[in-house]
Amino acid sequence: MNTLRLYFKSIGMLLRSHLQYPSSFIMQTLAQLVMEGGEMLAVILIVDRFGSLKGWSGGNLYFFFGMMSVSFYMTEIFGRGITGDFPSMVRTGRLDSFLVRPRGVLTQVMCAGTDPRRITCVAVGVVALIMGSNISGITWTPLKALVLIESIAMSCLLILGLFMIEAIFCIFSVKSVEIVNAITYGGRSACQYPINVYPLPLRALFTIVAPFALTLHVPASWILGKPLYGWPWWAAVVTPLSGIVVFGIMTVLFHVALRHYRSTGS
Amino acid sequence: MSYIEVNNLKKDFIVKKKREKGKLLREKDTVNALKGVSFSVDEGELVGYIGPNGAGKSTTVKILSGILTPDSGEVNVGGVVPWKDRKQHVKNIGVVFGQRSQLWWDVPIIDSYNLLKDIYRIPQASYEERLHELAGALDLEPLMRTPLRLLSLGQRMRAELCGSLLHRPKLLFLDEPTIGLDAVSKLALRDFLKWENKEYGTTIMLTTHDMEDIAALCSRVMVLGHGQKLFDGKLPDLLERFDTVRNVSVKYAVEPDLKLPEGVICNKTEDGLELSYEPSKLPTSKLLSILQDAGNIRELTLQPENTDHLIAAMYKELDL
Repeated sequence: MNTLRLYFKSIGMLLRSHLQYPSSFIMQTLAQLVMEGGEMLAVILIVDRFGSLKGWSGGNLYFFFGMMSVSFYMTEIFGRGITGDFPSMVRTGRLDSFLVRPRGVLTQVMCAGTDPRRITCVAVGVVALIMGSNISGITWTPLKALVLIESIAMSCLLILGLFMIEAIFCIFSVKSVEIVNAITYGGRSACQYPINVYPLPLRALFTIVAPFALTLHVPASWILGKPLYGWPWWAAVVTPLSGIVVFGIMTVLFHVALRHYRSTGS
Repeated sequence: MSYIEVNNLKKDFIVKKKREKGKLLREKDTVNALKGVSFSVDEGELVGYIGPNGAGKSTTVKILSGILTPDSGEVNVGGVVPWKDRKQHVKNIGVVFGQRSQLWWDVPIIDSYNLLKDIYRIPQASYEERLHELAGALDLEPLMRTPLRLLSLGQRMRAELCGSLLHRPKLLFLDEPTIGLDAVSKLALRDFLKWENKEYGTTIMLTTHDMEDIAALCSRVMVLGHGQKLFDGKLPDLLERFDTVRNVSVKYAVEPDLKLPEGVICNKTEDGLELSYEPSKLPTSKLLSILQDAGNIRELTLQPENTDHLIAAMYKELDL
């Protein structure tokens, strides 16, 4: 409980420091809106041109897109310490100061970063979700709502876990490793469309290595009433848990890596 | 049993060289940052830790504060192995890195302190009392609402010190605390450290390049070079051991014909004569009387006991 309080207090403080430069903050937030709005527009254009994609209607596509946007940008808002700032924490030695405090390092890294500008991206995602839900004519039940929340939460953990791969490399090499972006940012771009539009190698990548298919596509397709691979309802509840598994594994590896942390000169 | 026990501490770093042309893999180089350092520090001691850049000072401090894991050797600080029981260990230590901030850049420093209170789980009453005391001693009251980025270097160092002492650590590490500070700030900082050490018996370990810091603060000094401990003892003993050559400059009204004993080196400059001698062989008083007898002295300067100069001589003698 104390840790959660510390987290929100830290994030509150970071928000205030973001607002020290209000005009820059507003401009960047609007820029994010334009960027994510553009992504959404791309989906709208595809729907307008083709009507449907491998049996997924326009409304379905908006729903997938919305789930991915909300998950990804929520992670960036609340986990910026891992998704963006970690390499600079290593480089500038801020990680050293976390190590000399009696708190978990991961907790402190999470406490040290937030990216509130992404709020407009989340807003676009929410709009897409509502559009998708209405056009697809989803009849919501409490279970479906729960699965939606679970799916988004687990996708957030999965995304955090994937960004932690980069953080782990960073602990060893001080530099950031761009290749990991292929499954983080690449995963976001690819998996905002249903997984079965892709050929087998990509499907395998996003089911086994970076299991967006499990945290996002399986539950989303069940909510839409078109279960992926014809899997039963409970698959939509169980498979998203792979998100917390990935996060757990990465947390362990992260702490192993810290044992080999070399710090930078002073 | 001393408060800090360090036994045969070793740490290597692998440094990747720049890739040479025509080679596929980069060559690796092993740097022995620490080659088996041992020492112990008692509770309440104020120890200066000196050595040239790259001698392994920071590495030692980072191992003692639990940031780095050594390759081999034993460390025990107050009954805890720093890297094994990190959280337990760091509750009792404070760390100030001269060039790195521990506080938050864009917010008033009081907000940083409030957050540190939560991080260290300091009870409210204890926190308020301690903050009041430190703010008074470090003259921080008027700066509390100022963001860190607007503070001067001296002010920032005081703010950092306050932040690192809020949780009443038993052991304080200072990595070049006076770097870049003006004379007044340095003096104030030294006074504060003495006070903290005396009032609470806080053990302080200080790395520095500024010999004045050592002279003013430390009862004990350790010298590190090439990853090995070269000296451990009192500052006067260190000076005595390496205070082998001294300089005198002298200016006569009319240049006399000097007959100097053997071992004295004499150089003529525009400003007169520069002599260097070894006090162990030729007592200073004797040299002075020779100089006085030789003619009418207009100006004579005995080089003061400049510790920086001595340290440079020592590094040279020890081939650092």
